[in-house]
Amino acid sequence: MVLDLQGLTKHFGGVRAVDGIDLHVARSEILGLIGPNGSGKSTIINLICGLFPLTAGRVVFDGADISNQPTHARVTLGIARTFQNIRLFGQLTVWQNLWVAQNSGEQRNQNFFWRWLGGSRGAREEIDRTLELFGLSHKRDELAGNLAFGEQRRLEFARALSAKPTLLLLDEPAAGMNAEEIDELDIRIRNLRRDGITVLLIEHHVELVMSVADRIAVLNFGQKIAEGTPIAVQADPEVRAAYLGTAAAA
Amino acid sequence: MDFYLGLLQIIGVHTILGLSAYCVLLTGQVSLAQAGFFAIGAYVAGMLTVLAQWPVIPALGASAVVAGAIACAVGFPALRVKGLMLVVATIAFGEAVRLFFFNFTYQVQAGHLMLGPHGAEGFRQIRYFPEHGWTTLDVMLFIWAVVALVMAAIWWLDRSRAGAVLRAVGEDEFAAQSSGINITAVKVSAMTIGGVIAGIGGGIFAHYTTHIEHVQFGVVLATFAVAYPILGGLSSVFGTLLAVIFIQGFLIEGLRFMGDWRNLLFGALIVLAMNVRPRGLLDAGTVLALKRLIVSRKD
Amino acid sequence: MGPSPAVHRLAVSRSSVLTSAAIDVEFLDLIDAVQSVADGVLFGATYALLGIGFTLVFGVMHKINLSYAAASIGAAYASLLILAVIKAPPILVFLMAAAAGGVAGGLVYLIGFKFIPFANPLATLMSTVGLLLLIDEIIVHTTAGVPLNYPALYSDVIVRVGAFNLRGDLMFIFALCCVCMVALLLLLYRTRLGLATRAVSQQPTASELCGISITRVNVLTFVITGVVGGVAGAMTGAAIGILSPLLSLPLTVKGLIVTVVGGLGSIPGAIMAGLVVGGLENLFQFFRGVSERDLYIMLLLFVFLVFRPGGFFAMPAGRD
Repeated sequence: MVLDLQGLTKHFGGVRAVDGIDLHVARSEILGLIGPNGSGKSTIINLICGLFPLTAGRVVFDGADISNQPTHARVTLGIARTFQNIRLFGQLTVWQNLWVAQNSGEQRNQNFFWRWLGGSRGAREEIDRTLELFGLSHKRDELAGNLAFGEQRRLEFARALSAKPTLLLLDEPAAGMNAEEIDELDIRIRNLRRDGITVLLIEHHVELVMSVADRIAVLNFGQKIAEGTPIAVQADPEVRAAYLGTAAAA
Repeated sequence: MDFYLGLLQIIGVHTILGLSAYCVLLTGQVSLAQAGFFAIGAYVAGMLTVLAQWPVIPALGASAVVAGAIACAVGFPALRVKGLMLVVATIAFGEAVRLFFFNFTYQVQAGHLMLGPHGAEGFRQIRYFPEHGWTTLDVMLFIWAVVALVMAAIWWLDRSRAGAVLRAVGEDEFAAQSSGINITAVKVSAMTIGGVIAGIGGGIFAHYTTHIEHVQFGVVLATFAVAYPILGGLSSVFGTLLAVIFIQGFLIEGLRFMGDWRNLLFGALIVLAMNVRPRGLLDAGTVLALKRLIVSRKD
Repeated sequence: MGPSPAVHRLAVSRSSVLTSAAIDVEFLDLIDAVQSVADGVLFGATYALLGIGFTLVFGVMHKINLSYAAASIGAAYASLLILAVIKAPPILVFLMAAAAGGVAGGLVYLIGFKFIPFANPLATLMSTVGLLLLIDEIIVHTTAGVPLNYPALYSDVIVRVGAFNLRGDLMFIFALCCVCMVALLLLLYRTRLGLATRAVSQQPTASELCGISITRVNVLTFVITGVVGGVAGAMTGAAIGILSPLLSLPLTVKGLIVTVVGGLGSIPGAIMAGLVVGGLENLFQFFRGVSERDLYIMLLLFVFLVFRPGGFFAMPAGRD
């Protein structure tokens, strides 16, 4: 098990955004996380990353309890994420966006200051390779804020991968994409599994999730209401009620 | 001739002050505490050369270390306050430093003179340069050697991953954290570096003016410190230098003939500049364009 | 046989007089201290108004208008113009200051805020600094730097409450500031304009989609805070007795302190903080004199920010 969420809970004042969630993701698995808006999906990602403090529960990663680790430490351990509304460093170039996120094996061993200066040849070649993989080489020195939307999404994905994660959290990566771009995304996500990366995928785009995920968990009002293979989940009456209303489920 | 040398000295020292704010501003922290670190550097260096007979360069080193250490100490509580609250907190710190020196007296008898800081009267007789035969030209060259050194250091930092990391933190802390950046370490380091640079600048300032007092290190100086990098643009150290030359050279000195109207123009020009070019003289687009121009010229 | 009972009784009563005299001296010190604080709290109402102005602009635009205190003093100066024309009663002068403040507020918005991109807070910060310098220079130019007398009301009235003296002019200032605060709160919470202002501060884009003109709301916010600032400037002049361009910088710093201590964006916080800062200022002055007074205020603020960065009433943290 790469990721084990135990009793994950987050309250914002009176709002129970996430309410006692138990979830686990196996190595090289792609777990889809779906649910109506406001069901707590993005909050779960923020909790796994440590951007929000937990109200209760534990986050166990690769067997170690990381619930009290700061966000950057979790990234060094191997967790990376993308953001639902793209959060690139708009004033930095495409190349610099990848550079700051770079987290290669050699860097994990370097101390703080040396990582800061990070300019080894191998590191630079790695960034160039990533740029090529994502079709962004020609925009290498362009400010990230000036890219087209599709390019920005690709850069966001590339930046997350620069951190060399074992677990990748994708927060609605297909939002705003056309059919062609979604097909491309489908292939990229499958390639992740081939490369041994575990994926937690939040998505509204049902076809993509059904196509790519090994298992799916469904959230509603901060609680898990179903979990299983895509087909099983599709047939679950409670899931249908959550999405379509009780009349449709009947 | 001495007048122009004096002007170059002022421009040099103010550039160092501006550069100290530049580093901190990159991380998104608007710090009006730089004048405070400047003051600390001034008094420490002055006291070391006057009261303890240190040579000037080790004294500057010591003022850099002391100012840097205090900046580091300030950097940690500064993490707890964001954005505009930080502006107020740093104003308060700067004013506290100024008021401390307003009340600070430590005098030593030397012959028939009393030397050392003397409360509201300030610290007079910081005469290391004249006593050791430095001419105005020597001092000016020394100042600009330091300016060149500091600018080179920051320019190099800017090109390295550290520069991109600083700017990433300044732009989006959540995204920076999620990319594996330790924002606490980055922000405190930036504040410390700013303190070190300001300390050096203050030490030099004390020696070339030979007389420092608390009034000089108030909110106005603190505002100038951040004004230079903001007006010059945060995309390049040269922007800060340009801004200092423009403000000190052109506005304050060059428009002397305008008499009192000069000050009015000063405020109006700042307002106009921010409306017309909000990202400063040398913004990211301009810097990229200049780079491309230089590269294409080389071919 | 010992001293006669009469002598003995005299000795006892003399010592008790001496002891009660000692207690009287301490009691007097305490009264003086409380008197100081009371005066300070009354004067603190002006700080509260300044704090409200800063905090309201921050709440709506998420930016700080550093020229606010200078504009307020400027409005007070402008109100003196009316005295050059007719021998007006002080109340009219105060009203004129309020009106001038409103005009100044609108102008500040136009040249300092309207045309600068929303996403660039540094540029706005600098432009307000430029405005601060500009306003100060205009004042210095037109008055040749000479401090001017400012009218006050009830300055010769002193009300005795037990062992305390309450200055009539300070009480009037306090009362006028309170009237101003109540009027502002009514405006914000009982009128449609107030509702629109609060909507824009929370969700500018959505507000625009609901048909609220952001520009109009912003202009009106600046005009209203300008009016409040004009009153604050006038009251400061009335309390101190003179106006001087040297006032704008210390008032800016105090106003910012009040805003932050009260909690950015919170009006009740600014009110409370203004009174607290006013009282504490005088208390520090009473114990340690003028030269050290401000040092303690600054340190207090710094410490306060470290342990309670949100101020008295912080804006509640959102989900993102």
